[in-house]
Amino acid sequence: MNGNSRQQVIPPAHLSVKAGFVVYSHNDQERKIIILDKGELAAVDNSQSPRKIMFTMHPGDLVGVAAILEREPFRYDLEATVDSEITVVGEDCMESELKNIPLWLLAVIRELSAKNRQRKEDSRHSRAGNSLISLAEFCRYQKKDEPYPLEGFVQEFCWQTKASAPSVKEDLKALCRRKFVEISGSVVTVTHPELLELFVDYLETQEQDKPWPPLQLTLNQKKALVRLSIMDNQTPQDPPAWLAYFQKNNITLTAADWIKMQGLGWFANPKENLFVPDSKKVQYFLLALRYEINLRGVL
Amino acid sequence: MKLSAGDFLCLEGDFASSLYIVISGTLVGSCSEQVCTATKRFEPGSIIDVFSLLENAPREYTLKAEEDCEIQVVDNEQLKAILDEKPSWLRSIIEFLIRRNHIGEENKRKSDLVQALPSLLYLFSGLLKELNSNTVPVNLLSERAFRMNGSRPEECRKLLRMLQELGILKIQEDSVQVESRELIHLLYETLRYRALERKVSPNILSMTDQMVLTVFIKLSKQNKDPLRNGLSAIPTSELKAEAKKSMHGMTLTTRTIGSLVEKGILTPDTTLDFHAKLEQSEFFFGDFDHIMDLLELNRIFPLLDKKLVE
Repeated sequence: MNGNSRQQVIPPAHLSVKAGFVVYSHNDQERKIIILDKGELAAVDNSQSPRKIMFTMHPGDLVGVAAILEREPFRYDLEATVDSEITVVGEDCMESELKNIPLWLLAVIRELSAKNRQRKEDSRHSRAGNSLISLAEFCRYQKKDEPYPLEGFVQEFCWQTKASAPSVKEDLKALCRRKFVEISGSVVTVTHPELLELFVDYLETQEQDKPWPPLQLTLNQKKALVRLSIMDNQTPQDPPAWLAYFQKNNITLTAADWIKMQGLGWFANPKENLFVPDSKKVQYFLLALRYEINLRGVL
Repeated sequence: MKLSAGDFLCLEGDFASSLYIVISGTLVGSCSEQVCTATKRFEPGSIIDVFSLLENAPREYTLKAEEDCEIQVVDNEQLKAILDEKPSWLRSIIEFLIRRNHIGEENKRKSDLVQALPSLLYLFSGLLKELNSNTVPVNLLSERAFRMNGSRPEECRKLLRMLQELGILKIQEDSVQVESRELIHLLYETLRYRALERKVSPNILSMTDQMVLTVFIKLSKQNKDPLRNGLSAIPTSELKAEAKKSMHGMTLTTRTIGSLVEKGILTPDTTLDFHAKLEQSEFFFGDFDHIMDLLELNRIFPLLDKKLVE
């Protein structure tokens, strides 16, 4: 990787130009780097009327690097505003010089150029890691059963996230399939915003290859959950009293079940060692069980 | 340089003036920054820490050999020696590329921040409703913004600080509190309207409209009558008199108040004939809280863009 193989180097062209001379026209097919050694150049947009000076170049400035290295056309015309001296590095010249530098330096130049290109590419796309999670998160804050014009809905989401409209429509179909949203003609309705919260959590655990707790319950734990959801009187009780309560209702739970249920947040602990069901959490798990098929998308 | 499996090559943040090229084997890079929590693998041909070589920037990753590796180290002296031999334009091109990278990075940082604001406001407004509270935990907000838009926590914190400076929220230890939930929603809607409709939102009022509403609020505060369903009722005569005092002698007419009536911000007690005198209505009604929010929105909105690019 020391680049010792020497090849013929094509030298750059050094030119003296008079004021008004067009050094580069945006129609030029040939890509080149122009370095201003002396004088002043102006980058002019002649497509506008009146023509507009975009920027002026001073000695030491250069243009055209992106044109050669990143194949990105230079959009303006370049004119000398005063008598000037320039160096023109054409593609052949650049290539011949790059062949004579060590490979690591070539890699550095390519890396710098690639980083720029990558950054530009990235800025055109959504930064969200998972487009379906992103859309579900957006939908869950929409009003339940409110009809929205589909195009406006997609446009708003794209504006927020830079997602592309076709991919959003695909993801909307995935939510439709699960019956979380409905699309009827040009109208979209979020029918189950409450389930989208669960769906987002479910997808996240899937992505991380982790089991989702609501779908890991044993039969007795499920029975206990249903029991908790239909309880009228929610007097704080200690763990043995709770276990006795479940036993009385023909649900046999072990201490391990109790620890798991506590870990899942089904019980709030308002006072020392006395527990009451956390109705929100219980409802969350219950919904997950009821709509398991929708969440899994295996309808 | 040869490394055995498990050896560390460098630590993230170390200052250095060299780059590494992986000749054989694989290195694993990890860094503490949120953007690259996942590890990155560098295989033969990978070039690492270009900016350490070019401008002594700190090491981007902590690098560990996953297997036995051979690494080529290129330091700044070698770079200098090569560039001294080469025509000066080659150095200019490299310097140009470095500059462009920095500008590109800065532009991306700013554009990411601008991009993160609408979804942050959208989620914030949604969470205020969901939690039915005026306070939202910062972590919850950041987590959801990351899910929806890939916004980084530091971007969320920066935007929240900016909104705090504008006076529309208060960051407490680990939560963020608003005085008006509706204001966050209004701000989001105004941005959305501007972006998607490419027009000024109807929520953005003319100076005259704002002055009339300021008068209305002033009189509402002085009014001892309780609000009716959140609506404040101000007699037209009082509105006219106060407007004359507060609006530099300006006479309040049906025309001046017309746009506020058309937008539904103020409601007359009778159907307003736009060609008749203002006194045709005895009272004007307005939602006190909504008007306060609108005035606040109009105060902060012109400052928002400037703040974002600061």
